[in-house]
Amino acid sequence: MTEFLRQSLVIAGKDLTIEARSKERLISMLTFAVLVGVVFTFSLDATVPSRSIAGAMLWVSILFAGMLGLGRSFTLEKEQDALVGVLLTPVGRGAFYFGKFLANLALVTGTTLLIFFVYGLFFQLNLWAAWTGLALVTALYLIGFMALGTLFSAVAASTRLGDSLLPIILLPLLIPVIFFGATAAQRLILGRPLEEVAGSIRMLGAFDLLFLFACTIVFGKVVEE
Amino acid sequence: MRSAPRLIGVEPALESPPSEVLVEARALEKWFGPHPAVRRIDFTLRSGEFLTLFGPNGAGKTTLLRLLAGSLRPTRGELRFATTAGGDEHAWRRRIGVLSHQTYLYGELTAEENLRFYARLYGLADVRSRVEELLNQVGLIDRAGELVRTFSRGMQQRLALARTLIHEPEMVLLDEPYTGLDPHASRMLRGVLEHLRDGRRTIVLVTHNLTQGLELADRVVIQAAGRWVFDRPRAAIDVARFEQQYSERVGGEV
Repeated sequence: MTEFLRQSLVIAGKDLTIEARSKERLISMLTFAVLVGVVFTFSLDATVPSRSIAGAMLWVSILFAGMLGLGRSFTLEKEQDALVGVLLTPVGRGAFYFGKFLANLALVTGTTLLIFFVYGLFFQLNLWAAWTGLALVTALYLIGFMALGTLFSAVAASTRLGDSLLPIILLPLLIPVIFFGATAAQRLILGRPLEEVAGSIRMLGAFDLLFLFACTIVFGKVVEE
Repeated sequence: MRSAPRLIGVEPALESPPSEVLVEARALEKWFGPHPAVRRIDFTLRSGEFLTLFGPNGAGKTTLLRLLAGSLRPTRGELRFATTAGGDEHAWRRRIGVLSHQTYLYGELTAEENLRFYARLYGLADVRSRVEELLNQVGLIDRAGELVRTFSRGMQQRLALARTLIHEPEMVLLDEPYTGLDPHASRMLRGVLEHLRDGRRTIVLVTHNLTQGLELADRVVIQAAGRWVFDRPRAAIDVARFEQQYSERVGGEV
């Protein structure tokens, strides 16, 4: 287990170093999220209280911004066949997957925090009132999203269609996580108690465990041959 | 380990080095869908051997290297690695290094960061001194902090060589390593290969270049259409006649 974590952290550290230098994914994710926020600002009826649709706006922005970042996750492994180089080392396939997952999770978490901040300003949302519950639901949602997204970005990168295939294969499988995450977040933003969304939180946790376990096992088959 | 198998349909080697068998292949086959890449190859590789593998495009040379590297599994037949008969691929990967015309490096990392990354994947103890030593050896110590994407093709290949050797592999697999190198970089690579040919390390070199391939080899193989059609010790080869022999074996293509 220690070796698994050590190897995962080496992989994640490499990805984050590259991103810190190029800022390629972070910039595209943030720009996209802010632009979506601007579109919402102009298109929404001013008489509709933004709190009532805040969950949907936030989740749509996080989902597609995250998708944009995921699309690039394995592109950097394809340049100069670095993926082959890594697979020739004794690094475990599960550890490789988990390292990529950690790096993707770190990037999408940073983007999500900024989305919350920007949307809070744009739509005068008081997200602080329910921040503990919202943080828990968002964290569980992001873990599930990135667990599945990391695997499918590897699948998409190995096909001729590349990034454009990712939403088509990923979104249908993400529906349970989106459903439980978005409904729980919307209720929390409307000021409902945490107990009311306990069922959704448990379901999110269960899906996270299932996705992480299954994807760690399956990843080796995806990247080899 | 069993004795060396008799090669089927191939002229047998006239002499064999006395060292231990490192890899043994029996009726090895690899198919990609309906297309055969490697077809019923039998061979042994001994420690310290320098084998050069020639062959036209599409002969299955790179596939054979990938099988030897453990990154592909045979469709049929058997490939046994010394001391890893139980199928411990991780242990085998610690013993091999692969240098290809692709560098396996990250352009957005510096030369030093690339080597440190690979050193950590191999779990090396003293990463810093090993990285410094290799950067010195390939003449890139002064460029250690520069991004790899700013390097010339020759410099990238030198760094890739350092990456290949970072964990001191027992067996080095070289897939067209001279591709795209200028004469200076080619001489440097040749010098390193000569240094590596220390009688203990096994080297498999895949190349189209007959001169470069024959220079350091002590065993020469020609692969065509997935089969080994020629396998002889270098000492038994008349260099002047080799081009003719090669042409005959691969059907006229040189």
